[in-house]
Amino acid sequence: MAEMVNELLNMASSEAGKMIIGLVGVLAFVVVNALLLTWAERKIAGHMQRRIGPKEVGPFGLIQPIADALKLLGKEILTPVKVDRPLYYLAPTLIFVPVLVSFIVIPFDAALQVTDINVGILVVLAFSSITILSILMAGWGSENKYSLIGAIRSVAQNIAYEIPMLLALLPVVMLANSLSLKEIVEKQQCLWYAVIQPLAFIIYFIAAVAETNRTPFDLPEAESELVAGYHTEYSGMRFALFFLAEYTNMFIVSAIAATFFLGGYQGPVLPGIVWFLAKSYFLVFVIIWLRWTYPRVRFDQLLNFAWKGLIPLAFLNLIITGGLLKI
Amino acid sequence: MVSGFIEAIKSCVQGVEPVEVSYPEKGYHYALEAGAESLPVVVGFFDEKRFYLECLLCTDYSDVLELVYLFNTHLAPCRVKVTLKIDPQHPVAPSISALYGSASWYEREIHEFYGVLFTGHPNMAYLFLHNGIDHYPMRRAKVPVPPEDQARLDSFKPGEAADSFFINLGPQHPSTHGVLRVVLKMDGEYIEQAEPVLGYLHRMHEKMAENRTYQQFLPNTGRMDYLGAMSFNLGYVLAVERLCSIPVPDRARYVRIIATELNRICSHLLWLGAYLADLGALTPFLFVFDDREQILDVLEGIAGSRLTYCYFRFGGLYNDVDDQFIEGTRAFVKRMWSRFSLYEKLVTGNVIFVNRTKGIGTITKEQARKFGAAGPVLRSAGIACDLRKIEPYSSYNELEFAVPIGEHGDALDTYRIRIAEMENSLRIIEQALAKLPGGPIMAEKVPKKLKPPRGDVYQVVETPRGELGIYIVSDESDGPYRMKWRVPSFSNLMIFPELAKGVLLADAVAILGSLDLVIPEIDR
Amino acid sequence: MGERGFHLEKEIIPVKFALVEKVLDLARANSLWPVTFGLACCAIEMMATAMSRFDLDRFGAGVFRASPRQGDLMIVTGTVTKKMAPVLTTLYEQMPSPKWVIAMGNCAISGGPFVFEGQYNLVEGVDLLVPVDVYVPGCPPRPEALLEGFLKLEEKITGTRRFPRVESAW
Repeated sequence: MAEMVNELLNMASSEAGKMIIGLVGVLAFVVVNALLLTWAERKIAGHMQRRIGPKEVGPFGLIQPIADALKLLGKEILTPVKVDRPLYYLAPTLIFVPVLVSFIVIPFDAALQVTDINVGILVVLAFSSITILSILMAGWGSENKYSLIGAIRSVAQNIAYEIPMLLALLPVVMLANSLSLKEIVEKQQCLWYAVIQPLAFIIYFIAAVAETNRTPFDLPEAESELVAGYHTEYSGMRFALFFLAEYTNMFIVSAIAATFFLGGYQGPVLPGIVWFLAKSYFLVFVIIWLRWTYPRVRFDQLLNFAWKGLIPLAFLNLIITGGLLKI
Repeated sequence: MVSGFIEAIKSCVQGVEPVEVSYPEKGYHYALEAGAESLPVVVGFFDEKRFYLECLLCTDYSDVLELVYLFNTHLAPCRVKVTLKIDPQHPVAPSISALYGSASWYEREIHEFYGVLFTGHPNMAYLFLHNGIDHYPMRRAKVPVPPEDQARLDSFKPGEAADSFFINLGPQHPSTHGVLRVVLKMDGEYIEQAEPVLGYLHRMHEKMAENRTYQQFLPNTGRMDYLGAMSFNLGYVLAVERLCSIPVPDRARYVRIIATELNRICSHLLWLGAYLADLGALTPFLFVFDDREQILDVLEGIAGSRLTYCYFRFGGLYNDVDDQFIEGTRAFVKRMWSRFSLYEKLVTGNVIFVNRTKGIGTITKEQARKFGAAGPVLRSAGIACDLRKIEPYSSYNELEFAVPIGEHGDALDTYRIRIAEMENSLRIIEQALAKLPGGPIMAEKVPKKLKPPRGDVYQVVETPRGELGIYIVSDESDGPYRMKWRVPSFSNLMIFPELAKGVLLADAVAILGSLDLVIPEIDR
Repeated sequence: MGERGFHLEKEIIPVKFALVEKVLDLARANSLWPVTFGLACCAIEMMATAMSRFDLDRFGAGVFRASPRQGDLMIVTGTVTKKMAPVLTTLYEQMPSPKWVIAMGNCAISGGPFVFEGQYNLVEGVDLLVPVDVYVPGCPPRPEALLEGFLKLEEKITGTRRFPRVESAW
C-alpha cells in the first residue's frame, strides 16, 4: 500500500504527471466556470431588468445550470440531412482546442500554473485563431443560409479585431521585456500596467469583447436578423459545446487582461488565487453588463471601428511606448 | 375643404358630374362616378393636385361590382369618393398603379378576393390567400377561379440568379413583428430586392362583418390591432354612430379620449421596446413592459381586459369610470413624466443607437404621398397631418396638443416623433381629466336592433400607427352589407420595398422596425 | 385527446430506466426553452409573462431560443391559418425530441372567435396539426394563466406539482 502511494507520488512529480493533473484540473475548472457563468448571466440580467431570474430550481437558482446541462444531454442527437458531415461534427469539438491550450499558460497563482512556457502569450494568440476556423466550419457545414452569413460575418469580425488585441498587448511585453505570462505578473509588483498603459487596456478589452462575439459585437449570432447565426442547426449537446466555449472564452480573455494589466495574482493579505479570480471575474461581470446595456453595432460600423479606429490608436500607443522606452 | 373643387375638376376632365355630399352624415365631401375610360384622366387630375389615394375597395352588389376610390389631401381635408361600376361576369378595370404606388397592392387584393382583373398592372400575383383556395372569397355567390387565372394562385416563386441568393425574413420571427414574411434577394450583405408576402394571419374579418350584426362585430375590432385596440374600437363605434346618427354624451366622449390616449402610450411603449430588441438591446424591452403594466392595471379596472379591449358601445360606454381609475391614471401620469429621462439616457443618448438609426430609411414627401403613408412615418417626412387635429372627432377639438414632425424622414425621426407623441398623450390625458364632465355615459334610447339608413359612410381616426379608415355600406339591415378597413400598417409596408433597395440586412431590420407594423391589421 | 386530434399511443419500452428517467425528467421540466413563435394577440401576453412582473425565468423557462433546433417547447400563441399551417408543422418537425406544445389562447385550441359559417382560411385548433400537451384557454389568457399552464406542463413531465393548487373562492 505505502509503496503504491510512493510510486504514485513519484509519478505525479514528474513533468508528465504534473501536466496530466493540470489538464484534469483545467477541465474541471472549465466545467465549473461554465456552470457558474450561465447562472451568473441569467441572474445578473434578471437583476438589471428589475426581476429575479432563476429562483425556483434550487436555492437562488443555483441548480439551474445543472438542469440545463442535463436537459441538453438528454436531447435527441439530430443531424440534418444535407449537412456536410465532417465539418458539422468537427466544429463543436474544434472550438475547444484553443480554450484548453490557453488555460495551460495562465498563472492562477505563483505556483499554480500548468506549465510556464516562455513564449506564453504567443501560444494563446496563435491558438485563438482556431476559433474562427471552427466557426467557419460550423457555418459552412450547416448548409443553411443564416449560418453562412453568420459565419462570414464572424470571420471578418474576428480577423479585424485580432490585430488591435495583439497590438495592445505588445506595449506590455515591451515594458516587461518578456513573453512569459508569469514574468509579466511578477513585474507588476509595484505598479499595475493598467496605470501605465490605460489606452492599451481599453483597446485590449474592446477587442476582447469583439473576439468573444458578445454584444455589442454579436453580429454572428444576431438574433433578430439571423435566427441564431452560425449555430442555428446545432441542437442538444453540440449546441451546449458552443455555449460552453463562449463562456470559457470570456473567462480566458478576462484572465489575460487581469494578468497583463491588473497584476494577475498579486495582492496583499489574501492568497494569490483569490485575487486572480476576483480580478478576472470582475472583468467577466463587465462583459456581461455590456451585453445587457447596449444595442448591436451594424456590420460596416463594426469593421470601420476596428480598421479606422482601434488599429491606428493601438499603433500610436505602441510607437509612443517604444519611443519612451528608448529614452 | 378645398373650395372650387367642382369647377376645377369639371374644367380638366370631360363627362364627370361631381356631387357635393354632407360631410357629417357621410364622412366624405364629394362623390363622383367615373367610367372605365375617364378613370385614368380623373386619377391623373388628382395626382396633379397632390391628392393621395386613401383607400381602394370593391363591393359586390350582386348585379354590379363597384370599385370605390377615396382620394384626400393631407393638410386640408377634401375627401372625394370616385366610383366605377364593373360587370360581374367580365370584371375588368384599368389599373392606376403607375400613378399611385399604393394602388398596386390594393388592386392585387381586390383581384384575389373579387376576381377583378386590372389591365396594366405589372404583377397580379396573389398577396394574401393561400395555395389551395379555389374561389373568390368575398363574392356573394360562390364564383370559382377560372382556369386562366389559376396560374396566379401560386405564382410567387422567387428564382435564384447567378450572383445572388434568396433569404427569408420570417414568418417565424425572432423579433416581435408577428407573422410577416419578407423575401430578400441578397447580394452578399446588401439587399437587391425585398418582397413582402402577406396573408399568414388572414382571419377573414371583412367576410365575418358581412355575417354578423353591428354589435356582434365589436369584439373583432380589438383583435385587428391588438396593440391599439381602443382606437380601432373607437373608429368602429364612431362609424356606426355616424351612420345611425346616434349622439354621444360629453362624459363618454372625454372618457373615450382618456382611454384611447392611454392605449396610445401603451402601443408606443411596446414599439420602443420591440425596436430596441430588434437592434440588440434587450433590457429596455423589460422597462417598457413595466410601464405598460401600470397602464394595463388602470384600464383593466374599467374595461375588464388587458389587451383586446371592447370597451366602447354605440352611444357611449358600457361601464363608467370610478375614482380608482382617476386616481390610478393621475398616479401613472405623474410617474411616466419621470420615466422619460430614463429613456433619454438609455436610448436617445446612446451613440450606437443613433448610428444605427440616423439616415436609415429616409422617406421623401413625394414617396409618402404616393404610397399613402400614415402616422409617425408620414409626419417624419415633414407633413404635419394628424387626424385628431385635421378632422377632429370625439371632443379632441376642445383640447390643446401639438403635432410633432420630423425633418429628414429617417428612423431616428420616427423614434423622436413617437416619444413626443407619448408626451402629447400625457398632456391630453391631464387636460381631459381636469375637464371631465359629469352626466350619463350612454346615449338615451339606443335601439338594440339598429336600423341604419341605406348608404355608405367613411370614418377616420388616428391610431398609434396612423390613419385608420372604416367604410361601411348598409342595406338597412342590422348588420353591415360591406365593411372595409383601411389600415395604416398596410400602406406603411408598401414603402418598405422601395426603402430596402441597396441597404444592408441590418438596416432593413431597422427600417422595418421603424415602420411600426402590426401584422393582424395588415392581413385583416 | 378526443376524436379530433392526434392520438399518441403509449409505446411499450422493453427497458426501464427508473432513476435516470426521473432525474432527466426533473431536469427537462425545470429547463423548458420555448421557441419564439408568436402569431397574434396572445404573443403579447406571452411576452408579458416573460417580463419583469410575471417573470417566466424563475422556472428556468426564460431563455427564448430563436432556432427551433435549440428549443424544447413550442407555445402556439394565436390563430393558425391555412397559409401558416405548413410552416408550423415544419418548425415542429425541426425540433429535436423530447418536445412539447402548449396551445395558448382560444384560437390555438379550437379556432377561437374566428370560426363562422363559410370560413375559408382557418385551421380550427392547432391540435389538428401537431400533438398538444397543455391547453391554456382565454382570449387572450392572462399571464398568470400561462404560468399555470407551465406548471401543469411540469406536472405532466415530472408527475408532481411545484406549487400547491389554489382553491378558488367561488
